[in-house]
Amino acid sequence: MSMSFAGQTAVVGIGATEFSKNSGRSTLRLAVECCEAAIADAGLLPEQIDGMVGFTVEENHEIDVARSLGIKELTHFSRIHHSGGAACGTLHQAAMAVHTGACKYALVYRAFNERSETRFGAGVQGLDNAPTPIMVDFGWCLPFGLLTPASWVAMFATRYMHQYGATSEDFGRISVADRRHAATNPEAFFYQQAITLEDHQASRWIVKPLHLLDCCQESDGGQALLVTTLERARDLPNEPVVIASAAQGSADDQQMMKSYYRDDITGIPEMGLCARQLWNDTGLGPDDMQAAIIYDHFTPLVLPQLEEFGFCAVGEAKDFIKDGNLELGGRLPMNTNGGQLGEAYIHGMNGVAEAVRLVRGTSVNQVPDVSNVLVTGGTAVPTSAAILSRAG
Amino acid sequence: MSDDNKSKTPDALLAALRRIVGVATEPRVTRDDVNQAMIRHWCDAMEDHNPVYTDPAFAAESVHGGIVAPPAMLDTWSMPGLAPRPRQESSSGEEAGMVPVLNQLDAAGFTSVVAAGMSHEYHRYLKPGDRLTISQVITSVSDEKQTALGVGHFFTTESNFADQQGNSVGRMEFSILKFKPGTGTVNMDASALEGLEKMPRPRPAISRDTKFFWDGVDQGELRIQKCNSCDGLHHPPVVRCPGCGSYELGYLVSQGRGTVYSFVEVHHPQFPMFDYPLVGVLVELEEGTRIISNLVGVKPEDVETGMPVELAIEATDPGLSLPLFRRARPARRESTLLFADLEPGQELPPCPVAISRTLIVAGAMASRDFQDVHHDPDLAKKRGSPDTFMNIMTTSGLTNRYVTDWAGPEVIFRKLSLRLGVPNFPGDTLTYTGQVQSTALRDGKGVVELLVTGTNKLGDHVTATVELELPTP
Ligand SMILES: [Zn+2]
Repeated sequence: MSMSFAGQTAVVGIGATEFSKNSGRSTLRLAVECCEAAIADAGLLPEQIDGMVGFTVEENHEIDVARSLGIKELTHFSRIHHSGGAACGTLHQAAMAVHTGACKYALVYRAFNERSETRFGAGVQGLDNAPTPIMVDFGWCLPFGLLTPASWVAMFATRYMHQYGATSEDFGRISVADRRHAATNPEAFFYQQAITLEDHQASRWIVKPLHLLDCCQESDGGQALLVTTLERARDLPNEPVVIASAAQGSADDQQMMKSYYRDDITGIPEMGLCARQLWNDTGLGPDDMQAAIIYDHFTPLVLPQLEEFGFCAVGEAKDFIKDGNLELGGRLPMNTNGGQLGEAYIHGMNGVAEAVRLVRGTSVNQVPDVSNVLVTGGTAVPTSAAILSRAG
Repeated sequence: MSDDNKSKTPDALLAALRRIVGVATEPRVTRDDVNQAMIRHWCDAMEDHNPVYTDPAFAAESVHGGIVAPPAMLDTWSMPGLAPRPRQESSSGEEAGMVPVLNQLDAAGFTSVVAAGMSHEYHRYLKPGDRLTISQVITSVSDEKQTALGVGHFFTTESNFADQQGNSVGRMEFSILKFKPGTGTVNMDASALEGLEKMPRPRPAISRDTKFFWDGVDQGELRIQKCNSCDGLHHPPVVRCPGCGSYELGYLVSQGRGTVYSFVEVHHPQFPMFDYPLVGVLVELEEGTRIISNLVGVKPEDVETGMPVELAIEATDPGLSLPLFRRARPARRESTLLFADLEPGQELPPCPVAISRTLIVAGAMASRDFQDVHHDPDLAKKRGSPDTFMNIMTTSGLTNRYVTDWAGPEVIFRKLSLRLGVPNFPGDTLTYTGQVQSTALRDGKGVVELLVTGTNKLGDHVTATVELELPTP
């Protein structure tokens, strides 16, 4: 689907709480703090906000966030499904809303105490087995002891390794690059804590073939963004960061974390669908990206994302990574904030914020001469992606 | 002679037992001639499909020239059946053989029995109509020993089998432990058995649209949704065929054969309701769909993508059955290996055996072994075992089958000796592996020695050495 508003909207503000393992406050407080910061960064006042876009898995309703912020009237509010898959989907939704006039200033937010309160990594437990759609779906994996996202993703990883000869070390190089970038980012949880490939290999198994250091951390924190039209953005203090395109994707026989029944399970066709939309909307291609934020909840699924966007041929991501292309100074510096492995796991929203900083030129690991940055949403679920660009 | 044994001191008991050592029983003709019915029953129980045992046409063309009995049946022919123990004595009327030893030990409170090992030598294959005569001698009785199972005595017997012409057809050494129940050093009550008492697994949530699948599992079937209009398969189920639009959705019953498409090994976090190591597997079924399951009875390091697997619907928890998979049983070789095909170090393909309650009972009956521990769970518990367990003759039958399925129908067994370790309880999977130890030409015959091991989740159940004769063209 081509986006008629490609290049017509912009991110004008970003705001976040600190990223920690124990925020010590409510998720509502985190949501309000990060939203307030994004509104302030945009040079706006809460009463100017008239749209809010969130995640369906977000526990804080927009009305509660709005009430504490002093937002008065909302003319658009919507939620996007599929956890981290929504990361750029929220951006897409906000862009549509402001472009169509459903609202003028759309606030996008995600806040949780994913480490101190509800850990996804602890596994699906203690739910009753009433036949709701989600429990019926879980019924195909929970009785077999596959209770965690790591266990579902590992199934894709084993097949990918088998088919293309990728190794655990190839996955490890993602982790090492992320942590190297986090080491110089004071906001990152793993600030000044780089790791080596040996550290990765020595880390304990979570679900083989995933080591601990293939799995992103679990974090407490909040991240917000402010979206408006490019026209309004030009009147605001920050240099606008143009949403060149944003897209969602759900592909044939899509299932939640377990799209195991397709002819081939080594690719991510829903991300390929996003890629086609982004390239079509913008006329850009892989060579036009100076940096990328690639969703990295688990390292193995970074590889097929690089392939779906055409940064390398199918099955060759391991070589692309090995050549140092994802490092600062490489062909495609990736996750310059440290990614979710190094900075924080905020369902990809902190990555969108880093893409904004890269375009603004304010990343702590700034890549020179950035015109366009690719950012992707969560994988193994219906997903999303966006290209953020410097205003022409 | 049979004074009150309970009043005997341990020394007196041992002295009485040792008086029996070395006294051979008067040769006794077995209850039944070698016969096709018992052979067939045995082959059914062991799932041994070697046609030399049951297919007259094949057998006639074979090296045997006619139907033969599985070699591992040797001592089955001499079992008394469900009848009181016969008297055993020497030709001069002295106590002799196993029966008086068993009687004396029973009377002294050593009422539980477990086989420790056995060794068969085969001088020729037996054919229906053969009438065997057996003579038995106790070769040793141990001092009283504290074993894991209990305080008891080991004793060994040697049995010689002759045919109607008086020619020796085979020889057996057998080693048994008789022990006092409840005196063991390991706690063999039910909770010692992994998997019997634990928190239940998460149960599948079942909707109207998925009920057929779980009903099928309860009935021992793996059902895959199939469109009645276009035959398209859909798993997990849909409500409308996306291929042709039909709402008329039925199912097929999968044959349960497939290959490992992908797999994972869960390490962390671990949950009390699962056994670890835990292998999650994505099986590609022959019918064309895939299914998430667990691979059981396989060590995680032995799992490979592409490995053939077969369905094993198992009751994992009270009231919950799941479609699990185990390594597929390798196909039976139809033409026999040649001596020249083999060299030391060569591996036999791993082969799983599902230890069902039926197999345990059927194997015991097929070998005419009516010891209650092999068919009655309540009495097995009274005798200090958490459940019924497989008898040694079934283990030898399965070992026989494993080796012939690999080597081919006309391989000749010369020796089969096995030592038992942990028991085979119902619900477990016994996995055989084996290796060629040596090959040698002796008197123009190709003699091959194998080491075969059968392991279950408790450890090594059987370690066997097998001497085979293979064709040398
Ligand atoms: Zn159809």
